[in-house]
Amino acid sequence: MPGANDGHPRDSGDRPGGTAPTGQPRDSRNAPLAARLHGVSRSFGRVVALNDVDFELRPGEIHGLLGENGAGKTTLARVMAGLLAPDRGRVEIGGRALEGGGARTARELGVAMVHQHFSLVPRFTGFENVLLFNGGGWTRRGRLRRGFRERVEARAAELGLAVELDLPVEELGMVERQRVEILKALAGPTRVLILDEPTTVLAPQEVSGLFAVLARVARAGTGVVLVAHKLDEVLAAADRMTVLRGGARVLTRPRGDATEAGLVAAMVGRGGVGDGGRVTRKRPDGAPADRAEAGDAVADGGGGDQANPPVAELRRVTAGDPEGERIVDLSLEVRRGEIVGIAGVGGNGQRTLAAVLAGVRKPVRGEVRIPREVGWIPQDRVEEGLVGDFTVAENVAFALHGSADFRNGPWLDWKRVGRTAAEMVAGMEVRGGGAGDRAGRLSGGNQQKVVAGRELLRSRILLVAESPARGLDVRATAQLRGRIARLARDGPGPPGIVLVSTDLDEILELADRILVMVRGRLLPLPPHGRHPDAIGHLMLAATTSSPTPPPTPTP
Amino acid sequence: MTPPSLSAALRRWPLLRPATALLATAAVTAALLALGGHHPGAVFATLIRGAFGTWDRFLSGTLLRATPLLLTGLAVAVAFRARVLNIGAEGQLHAGALAGVAVAVLLPGATGLVLLPATLLAAALAGALWAAVPAAMKTAMGVGEVITTLLMNFVALYLAQFLVQGPLQEARGVFNQTDEIPAAAHLPPLFPGTRLHLGFLIGLGLAFALWLYLTRTPGGFRMRAVGASVRAAEVSGRFRALPVIWMTFLASGIVAGLAGWIQVAGVTRRMYEGLSPGWGYTAIAVALLARLHPLWVIPAAILFGALSAGGGAMQREAGVPEVWVRGIEALVILAVLAVDQTARARADGGGRD
Amino acid sequence: MIEIAALSSFLLSAVGLAVPIALAALGEMVSERAGVINIGLEGSVIWGALGGALGALAAGPWAGLGTGALCGGATALLFALFAVRLDTDQIITGTAITLGSLGFTGVVFQGRFGATGLALELPTVPVWEIPLLAGLPVLGPALFEQAATAWVALLLAPALGWFLFRTRWGLALRAAGESTVAARAAGERVVRIRILAAVFGGCLAGLAGAHLSLVHTGTFAEGMSAGKGFIAIAVVVLGRWRPWGVLAAALFFGCAEALQFALQAVDADLPYPLFLALPYVLSLAALAGWFGRSRAPAALGGASGG
Repeated sequence: MPGANDGHPRDSGDRPGGTAPTGQPRDSRNAPLAARLHGVSRSFGRVVALNDVDFELRPGEIHGLLGENGAGKTTLARVMAGLLAPDRGRVEIGGRALEGGGARTARELGVAMVHQHFSLVPRFTGFENVLLFNGGGWTRRGRLRRGFRERVEARAAELGLAVELDLPVEELGMVERQRVEILKALAGPTRVLILDEPTTVLAPQEVSGLFAVLARVARAGTGVVLVAHKLDEVLAAADRMTVLRGGARVLTRPRGDATEAGLVAAMVGRGGVGDGGRVTRKRPDGAPADRAEAGDAVADGGGGDQANPPVAELRRVTAGDPEGERIVDLSLEVRRGEIVGIAGVGGNGQRTLAAVLAGVRKPVRGEVRIPREVGWIPQDRVEEGLVGDFTVAENVAFALHGSADFRNGPWLDWKRVGRTAAEMVAGMEVRGGGAGDRAGRLSGGNQQKVVAGRELLRSRILLVAESPARGLDVRATAQLRGRIARLARDGPGPPGIVLVSTDLDEILELADRILVMVRGRLLPLPPHGRHPDAIGHLMLAATTSSPTPPPTPTP
Repeated sequence: MTPPSLSAALRRWPLLRPATALLATAAVTAALLALGGHHPGAVFATLIRGAFGTWDRFLSGTLLRATPLLLTGLAVAVAFRARVLNIGAEGQLHAGALAGVAVAVLLPGATGLVLLPATLLAAALAGALWAAVPAAMKTAMGVGEVITTLLMNFVALYLAQFLVQGPLQEARGVFNQTDEIPAAAHLPPLFPGTRLHLGFLIGLGLAFALWLYLTRTPGGFRMRAVGASVRAAEVSGRFRALPVIWMTFLASGIVAGLAGWIQVAGVTRRMYEGLSPGWGYTAIAVALLARLHPLWVIPAAILFGALSAGGGAMQREAGVPEVWVRGIEALVILAVLAVDQTARARADGGGRD
Repeated sequence: MIEIAALSSFLLSAVGLAVPIALAALGEMVSERAGVINIGLEGSVIWGALGGALGALAAGPWAGLGTGALCGGATALLFALFAVRLDTDQIITGTAITLGSLGFTGVVFQGRFGATGLALELPTVPVWEIPLLAGLPVLGPALFEQAATAWVALLLAPALGWFLFRTRWGLALRAAGESTVAARAAGERVVRIRILAAVFGGCLAGLAGAHLSLVHTGTFAEGMSAGKGFIAIAVVVLGRWRPWGVLAAALFFGCAEALQFALQAVDADLPYPLFLALPYVLSLAALAGWFGRSRAPAALGGASGG
C-alpha cells in the first residue's frame, strides 16, 4: 500500500480549516468502500451499546465519529477492528466480510486501530512495537526481514511521524507514543485506520500536527475514522461526520453541510438548541450567573459574600491524572446552598476537577481548600464506586467507616451501618437486593443508586456529582435530580453542590450558576448567557466572543 | 466441561466449595491409591483412626501438628485478604523462632512471668521485621512481594543455619542446635499427660481476634477493601492504600513469627536446622481451603494436622508411605483452585465483554 | 602448587554445582519472560531427577536425561493447565505443584524401590574430558571436564538470547510477558505462548533434575532437588532476566555452594551458611535497584485471560 498511491492527485497545500470542499472523498465514488457496517447491534449485559447502526467509510476520507461518552463510539470502533463481535449485523472491510475472525482477520484485511489507552508494550522500543504488530517485518523463518527497518523509517518520514525508534516507549512523551502507535498501525498495508479519541492526550498545539499526519494518511487512500467528542476538532479535520447517540446513528453529514448547532443538538439530544424557553431557574433568588466577569480567573458567583463563606475553594490549581486529563490554573469557589453547574464536553478536565474537589487528587500547583468530608458521585460508578463482592451495607460503610457516629469503642457499629444502608436502599428505591445482599447482584442502574445514595450521606458540606443521572431510567433520573435540588435548599445549612454534567438539560434544570469547562479551564457565561446556544458555543470554544484560553503548557 | 447446575450451586453456596474440593480430592486420592495397589477404603480408615482414633492421638497428634499450621495459615489468610501475596511465612516463622530462642537463652535468669512474654514479643517483632523488608520494597519501590518474600525465606533459613552452628550453638558444641530453653520459657501443656500446649489456644485466640478485626473494625474493613479493589478503596473510601498494605505485611509477619517460636516453646524446646517441614508453604493450602476466613482456618488447619498425624499411622499400620500425605495436600489446593474457577467462570461470563 | 590444585578443584566443583541451577534458571527465565512465574519448578526438578533415574535404569543414562526432561515438562504442563488455561493463581498453583511433586515422587520411589534406605546405584552420564584443554592449569578442569549437560547450559545461553531478542517468536513471547492486552491486540495467542514457555522451562528443570541424579550423584534420594527450583527463581532475578546474566548468576550461586563445601572441609568454624545466604541477599538488592534497574516482566504472575 505505501507508495501505491504515489500517482494520486494531491490537494494543493494544506487542508484549510474552514472551507470544506464537500463530503466527497478524494477517490472516485466507484472504488469499494474501505469499511461498511450494516445493521450492527451490540449489547453488554443489559446495556445496549450499539443499536442497528449503519456506517460507511470511503477510501481516502477522514470520517469523524461524534457522540457523548457512552454513545457507542468506542464500541463501534472496536467492532470495526474485530475486537468485539457484533450481536447482529455485518461488517465488511474493503468489500470482504469480517466474520467472527476477530482482530487477526481484521488486521489481515487492513484494519488498524489506535486505542485511547495505547496498546503499546511500554518496555519495548518503538521499533519492537512496530514489529510486534506487523508480521510483514519477519521472514517466514522468523527472522527480521531485510530492509524492513528502512521501510518503516521511510514511512515515518513520509507521514511526518518523526520518532525515536530505539528508545523504550515508556521513555517517550505522549506525542511520541502516539506517533509510534500510528506508525505501528500504518507500517503495513492499511485500508482502515481508526483512532479512538486521539487528541485527549495531546496539548492543543500538538493536535494540528496530528491532523496534518492524518491528512497525509488519507491522501494516500486510507479511510480514517476519527473518534472524538470535541466538535471543533472534528470540524477541523474530518471530511464527513457521523453522530451517535445512545447507541444509534443520528446523522451523517459532509463537513460542508454540518453546522455546530446541528451537531451539538444531535449529540446532546435536545429537540433543538435554540429552544431557550425550557430554561428553568429553580432559585430566582440564587446568585446571578452573569455577575462573574468574563476573563476573571476566579469563578465565583457569590461575589464577596461575607455571611456565606465558601465551603470549597480552589485557587489557581493545576492538576492532572496519568491519562493526561487535566485542569490548568483553575479557580473556583463553592458556597452553601448553591448548585454550581459545570457544563462542557467530556474529557476537558472534569474528572480531575472532581477528584481534586473530593480530595483524592493532589494538585501540582495552587491552593485547595475543601471540607474534610465530601460527597462524590464519580463517573465510573461500577469500577470506582462499588466493590461487587461487598454487601450493599459494606459499600455504604465506605462513607461511614471513619465516622465516630458509627463506632462503638474500637468496633464498627454494623447494626447502625446496616440501618443507615437499609434506609438508603428504601429512600433511593434500590430494587433487586437489600442492605445485606452483594452489591454485584444488583443491576447497573441500582448499583448507581447505591453509590449516589451513599455519597448523599457524605454531603453535609459539599457534594460533587458527575453526571449523576447517567444510566438511570426516566423515573429514577427525576427522583435523583429532585433530591439534589432539595438538598441545596434543605435546612439551615445546606451543602454546596458542584454538578458536573455533559447533559445541558440537567445543568439548566438544576444549576444556580453555570460554568463551562474547556481544556482544563472554567469559562463563565457571558451576561445573559444562560441559554443553550451560548453554552453550546462556549463548550465548543469556537466562538470569538468568549476568551480563548491560552495554549496549555506541555508538561 | 462442568454442568452449569454445579457451577451455579457453587456460586450460590460458597460453603459448598471446600466440601466439593475435599470430595474431589478424596476421589482422586482413592483412584491413585488403588493405582498404587492399596485398598483406598482401608487406607482412609487407618488414616482417620490415626488422627482421631483416641483422645491422645487427637490431642497429641492431630491438634499438636495443627498448631503451627493454624498460626501460619492465619498469617497467610490475613495477608491474602488484603491481596498481599506473602509467601514468606516460612522465613518469618524462622525469624520468630530465632528471636524467641535468642531471648530465652540470653535472659536465663528471668522468671516465667517476664520471660515468656518477652520471648513472644521478640518473636512477633522478628516476624514483623522479616515482613517489613518486602513491605518496604513493595510500597516504596513497587517491587512485587511474591519474589521478595520467597527470597527472604532462604535468607532466614541460612541465617538460622548459621546461628545454630555458631553464636547460638549448644554449649556442648556437638549438634547444630541451640541449648534447651529454660523451663520458664516453656509453653505449658493444656492437659496433663498430653503434648498439646498453650500455643494451640493462642492460635485459637488469634483466629478469633483476627476475625473480629477483619469483620468488626474500621481497620479490618479497610484491609478487606484494599484487597477487593485498591481503586475503589481510594475513590470510595477516601483512604490511602499504602499504609493499609504496610499494616497487613506487619500483621502477617507477626503471626508467622509467633508460629515459629510457639513451636519451639511448646514442642521442640530447642531451635535447630529444619525446624519447619515447610509449614509456611502448606499454610497457603490451609488459608486457601479456609477461603481466607480466619475462623475457617481452624478446621482447615486441623484437617491438615490430621493428615499429618494420620499419615504416620497409615505408614505403620497400612504400609502406605507417609509421603502420600504431602501429595494429598497438593491435591487439596488444586481441587480448591479448580472448584473456585468453576464457580467464577460463569459469574464473569455474563457481565462484561 | 597446593593452592592452585585447590583452586582448580574448587572451580571444577563450582561449575558442576552451577550446571543444574543454570539449566533450571534458563528455563524459568523463558517462562517468566512470557509472564509465567513457576514456583512449581522445584517439582519439575524432582520429577526430572526421578524420571531420569527410572529412564537410566531402563535404557541407559542418555535416555535418562531425555525422560528426566520429559517428566519435568509434564509437571510444568500440569502447572500451566491450571495457572494459564484455567487462570488460577500462579503462585498458589506453583506451591501445590511443588508440594505434590515432593510427595508423589516419594510415593513412586518407595513404591518402586521400597523404603529400605539402601542407596540406589544409577548408571551415570560420562564426563567429557576434552583432550589437552582439560589439562590447562586452574581453569582447565572446570571448563573442559564436564558432562554434556554443562555444554547444554552453556550453548543455551546464546541460543536463548538469539531466540528472545532476534526472532518473531521471541518478540511475541516477551510481549505476552509484558502486556497481555498489547500482545492480544497484536493478534498473539497469549495462552498458547505461555503454556509452551512454561513447558519449555519445565523440560529444562527436568534436565536439571536428571543432572542431579545421573551426573552429580549417581543415585536418587527423596527431596534431592533440595530447593534447586527455588534457587533458579532467585537466579533469574539476579541475572535480570537475561541469558548471560542468568548464566553468570548461576555460576555465582554455584561458587557460593562450592565455597561452603570447601570451607567446611578446611575450618568448620567459618560462617559458611552466610555464604549461601549471600546470593539471595544480592538478588534482593538487585530487585531494589542497587545494581541499576532490574525489573521483572510487567505482566509476570498476572492473569492470562484464558
